Amino acid sequence: MKQINSVCLIDDDPVFIFAIKRIFKLSDVCENFTVYNNGEEAIEGLTQTIASGKHIPELILLDINMPIMDGWQFLDEFTTMTVSKKITLYLVSSSIDPVDFQKAKEYELITDFIIKPVTRKTVIDLVENMTQNQ
Amino acid sequence: MKDVYNQLFRIQNAQTGNETNSFLDTIQQSLAIGSWEVDLKTMEITWSAMTRSIHEVEDDYSPNVEEAIHFYEEGKYRDLITVLFNNAVNNGEEFDAELLIRTAKNNLKWVRSIGFPILKNNKVVKILGVFQDITEKTNTFKELEYKEKLIRTTIENAPNGMALVGLEGQIIDLNKNFCSYLGYTKKELMHTYVNKLSHPQDINIIPIHIKEMINREKDSFECEKRYLKKDGSIIYCLLSVSIVRDDANKPLHFISTIIDITKSKAINKKIEYLLQTTKSQNTRLQNFAHIVSHNLRSHSGNLEMLLELMQEEIPESTKNEFFPLISEAVNKLSETIQNLNEVADINTKEKQELESNNLLDFTNNALGTFRAEILDTNAKINIDINNKIEVLAVPAYLDSILLNFLSNAIKYKKEDSIPVININAEKINNYVKINIEDNGLGINLDLHKDKIFGLYKTFHQHEDARGLGLYITKNQIDAMDGKVEVASKVNDGTTFSIYLRYEAN
Repeated sequence: MKQINSVCLIDDDPVFIFAIKRIFKLSDVCENFTVYNNGEEAIEGLTQTIASGKHIPELILLDINMPIMDGWQFLDEFTTMTVSKKITLYLVSSSIDPVDFQKAKEYELITDFIIKPVTRKTVIDLVENMTQNQ
Repeated sequence: MKDVYNQLFRIQNAQTGNETNSFLDTIQQSLAIGSWEVDLKTMEITWSAMTRSIHEVEDDYSPNVEEAIHFYEEGKYRDLITVLFNNAVNNGEEFDAELLIRTAKNNLKWVRSIGFPILKNNKVVKILGVFQDITEKTNTFKELEYKEKLIRTTIENAPNGMALVGLEGQIIDLNKNFCSYLGYTKKELMHTYVNKLSHPQDINIIPIHIKEMINREKDSFECEKRYLKKDGSIIYCLLSVSIVRDDANKPLHFISTIIDITKSKAINKKIEYLLQTTKSQNTRLQNFAHIVSHNLRSHSGNLEMLLELMQEEIPESTKNEFFPLISEAVNKLSETIQNLNEVADINTKEKQELESNNLLDFTNNALGTFRAEILDTNAKINIDINNKIEVLAVPAYLDSILLNFLSNAIKYKKEDSIPVININAEKINNYVKINIEDNGLGINLDLHKDKIFGLYKTFHQHEDARGLGLYITKNQIDAMDGKVEVASKVNDGTTFSIYLRYEAN
């Protein structure tokens, strides 16, 4: 039951990238991943993808704390881009700082906030949510 | 003067009639001046009525020379009159002196005594004298002298440094402390210019004020200022300067007062340093809290994820002695990080806004969480809280506090008896005191009083005792301006009293 064509992971932590990919695969949700290690890389990559109109990710999992361009800066840039397709975006962070939760509410783009570690259950719930809302 | 007196006495001598004498007596009385006369031939002394009155003797009193001299106060005054009188007799010298006498009624009086030798054929035959009571005048003078001295010694010994400074800045006069503050002698400082004593960097503080005072824009000013002592060291002073003007409002000079504040300056510096240290430590603490909340959490989160994946993907790798232990260690690590996080969170947050919360509602909510445990243990809960009591608190903290104390009350029950928990609240001044009383195991306060609210302190061999609840609770209470007290007896029970700020409706 592959419900998601493509997931974009924006995170600088290779262990998390490794683990989250495995969880998605194990849950049989998705096998196509695009990985960016910081916000800037992601903006560059996504600009091209969106321009070409091919393989636009359905889901973006965005980390907050990253070098060069962090999650918030990415969001500020990304908000200005026009995308033909609906992209679901989740913030994924170890942060449990209420300031971050509060800030997340200010972005319409953000569907929800996921606190690491991410378990299989989290992923399955997330996908269910996405398919229900479609 | 002498002529006037001579005239007076000539008249008296020429006319011995009583009428004239009484006339002279009247004059003498009104002037408080008496006269006397010593006939050296007969050694007879004549005192006028006023002279007798000054001596406070009877009207018919008539002394001999020795007795007359005896009225003068023993010591230097009697010695002096003796010399003066002898000089007049032997050398024909006049005298005029202010002396102290002791009257017949034992009163001390200041008198002016004047003697004129009368010559006949180059020989002194008579001494005529004038005798005036000058006690009042002398006393006024002495009083002024005393007052002047009092002011002088007051200034001299004042606890502050004081100096009179001329309009040009030169020191006119100064007291002991001014000298000792700066380490100079009075002689060294007299007439020097006061700005020469200033610390070079502070030399420009004063002139503008001086100008304003001279221009009558103000009468005084105060500032902190450094001076250089003679040995080159710095003294921090609080300087007050006021201007003195004459009746026509013309500036005369300045009065400068200095107080040595070097010590308090040093203390202030220390406080500033401590504040700085505290600030930077606080920043470090916040950074540390961030490391705990983010970086450590990331790593432990990753470990948890990897372990979960391992279990799913390569189950055979988990079927050994190591995996469950690693798994447990990772869980414990995550839990510890979570705990540290909560603590760091309370301590590093900006002061949180306190909201008004209904205490009874919160208490009932908290009890709801323990419904299962309460049924399980048959616990009896007695709540006595007025439903109008509102406390000022961070809602999440209030929840956590109530949950913690209630959970402890149930958790640490006595093996063989049904737990009874009494919860009540009362208003005390601006606070609400919440008592949570149980009949449980109790805590040995003699042993644990100091560390009861400490981090990772446990007092019972209970499997769930983590030593974190009370620590976090205490931190949360402190953060809300409250306090917590504990009373306990082993095998009898424990009462925690929580004080939270009261919200008046």
